[in-house]
Amino acid sequence: MRDAHRARLLEFLRTIQKPDQPLDAVAETDSLIEAGLIDSLALLEIVAFLEEQYRIDFAETGLEPDQLTSVSGILDLIEREGRA
Amino acid sequence: MPVGLLVRRLGQLHEDPAVVARWQAWMGPALARLTPRRRRSLLALGALYVAVRQPLREMVPGVGLAEPDGPVAAALIVLGCFLAVVAVYAAASRFASLPAAVRSRPQVALHAAFWALVTVAWVVPDGRGPGALALSGLVLALPFLLWRMGYLLMSGQRGRVAGSRFGDHLLYLYPAYGGTNTPYGKGLDHLSRHEAATDEALARSQLAGLKLLILAAIYNGLLALMAGLVYGDARSAWSRYGLGLPRLEQMLPASGTSWATAWTALYVTLLWDVLKLAARGHEIIGVLRLFGFNVFRNTYKPLLAPSIVEFWNRYYYYFKELLVEFFFFPTYVRRFRRSPRLRIFAATLAAAGFGNLYYHLLQRDDFVLSLEPATVGPWLLSRGFYCLALSLGIYLSMRREQSRRGAAAPPPSALTRVRRIAGVWTFFALLSIWAEDSVAGFGQRLSFFLALFGVR
Repeated sequence: MRDAHRARLLEFLRTIQKPDQPLDAVAETDSLIEAGLIDSLALLEIVAFLEEQYRIDFAETGLEPDQLTSVSGILDLIEREGRA
Repeated sequence: MPVGLLVRRLGQLHEDPAVVARWQAWMGPALARLTPRRRRSLLALGALYVAVRQPLREMVPGVGLAEPDGPVAAALIVLGCFLAVVAVYAAASRFASLPAAVRSRPQVALHAAFWALVTVAWVVPDGRGPGALALSGLVLALPFLLWRMGYLLMSGQRGRVAGSRFGDHLLYLYPAYGGTNTPYGKGLDHLSRHEAATDEALARSQLAGLKLLILAAIYNGLLALMAGLVYGDARSAWSRYGLGLPRLEQMLPASGTSWATAWTALYVTLLWDVLKLAARGHEIIGVLRLFGFNVFRNTYKPLLAPSIVEFWNRYYYYFKELLVEFFFFPTYVRRFRRSPRLRIFAATLAAAGFGNLYYHLLQRDDFVLSLEPATVGPWLLSRGFYCLALSLGIYLSMRREQSRRGAAAPPPSALTRVRRIAGVWTFFALLSIWAEDSVAGFGQRLSFFLALFGVR
């Protein structure tokens, strides 16, 4: 299941990557922001993606930006809070 | 070796394994003794000193400490601030058992409690005596702690305070490494995430800290040079060679400034402000890194930012983070969820607009202490306009950045990049007309702005 989530997530991240920083090879625990692959603007799109695809309600759970800066952090959140 | 490459290598020395290994060998015994727990204890000891010094330093301009009741009032203020910190820590560590209204809006509850105290200070007639002095001192001193206590509550909301030591929270509540009302390094959650756990990580963090301290010294030198050569500051040894350019705050209320002088002053002010903020931030983050907290620097090459939103990210990182965490995200996850554009606009307005204005209002002693509309009104108009224009600029910049996402694209040409950077400089230089600390009213600032384009 995690593999399916990962594939779906990476596919989405490619649609919001910075134009001059392609998201080709990224380790699951790498900080996407520190690696310069995405920025804080992309976090908003990740939030919208998680709300829409996994029905995570951040108004209920609270939004912790640091959870959303690595692929593994996002996958953990999906497994914990996701409903799809 | 080309100069550019040399500069880049020098800038990355702290990441060079050979340099890190040499630092470890040189500092070996000291690094081994400076365990994370000991480093935290050292900062907690420093916090006790700050707990006494900071409230008194904050109240000195507004409250008569020299009066006979001064020492008692001072003790009450220090104690009052500390009790506030203890109360918030207690609330954060038992977050789940707090009343539902507080749990759902902990930050609103915190600020409501502060404003309740301010209201009492407004209502209580001015008088002598330690109680009245202490009340005035408390409302002036607490804004320094408010956002820090906010991070503590946020940590409690995430269930992370229960297992932590009170002393660890003192690190950032009363930062011995320095700071303003903005918590550099944020709260314990963020600091812990970036804390060096091994000798090697500590060595790397310390080298990165030293680099920032060296950069801060260079920037301070440049500022001293600018003060003499550009502004003709009489205290500078270089003043006799100076251009004698008036400061922007002096130009704003004056009339008849030449077009060229006004534009020069705007860009020079931008450079001055960036250097000053970078120097101060590098000193604070540099010290934090020496203690093993390898957090982001506060200012990172904002003058090379190709967009408004990028400049905003790089100029004053911890203030931006404060606005994002306390205003942007809470609005973003709650409001207009079905309308993506309106959602981002509302969140941007909440952070760069309302949050920015509110943060600066808390720093106005004349407002917090005595609600003086005559002095606060004109300031509010100019600052409000600044916040609104900033919000619109950031929103439009975000929209433009979003539209560029998705497809890999070649980097922009050098000319395009220079054009974008110049645009960002001009936007923030013009915006500073309404943010500059000056006696000038809104009308005078508007006249100055129009005169830049030949409209008098």
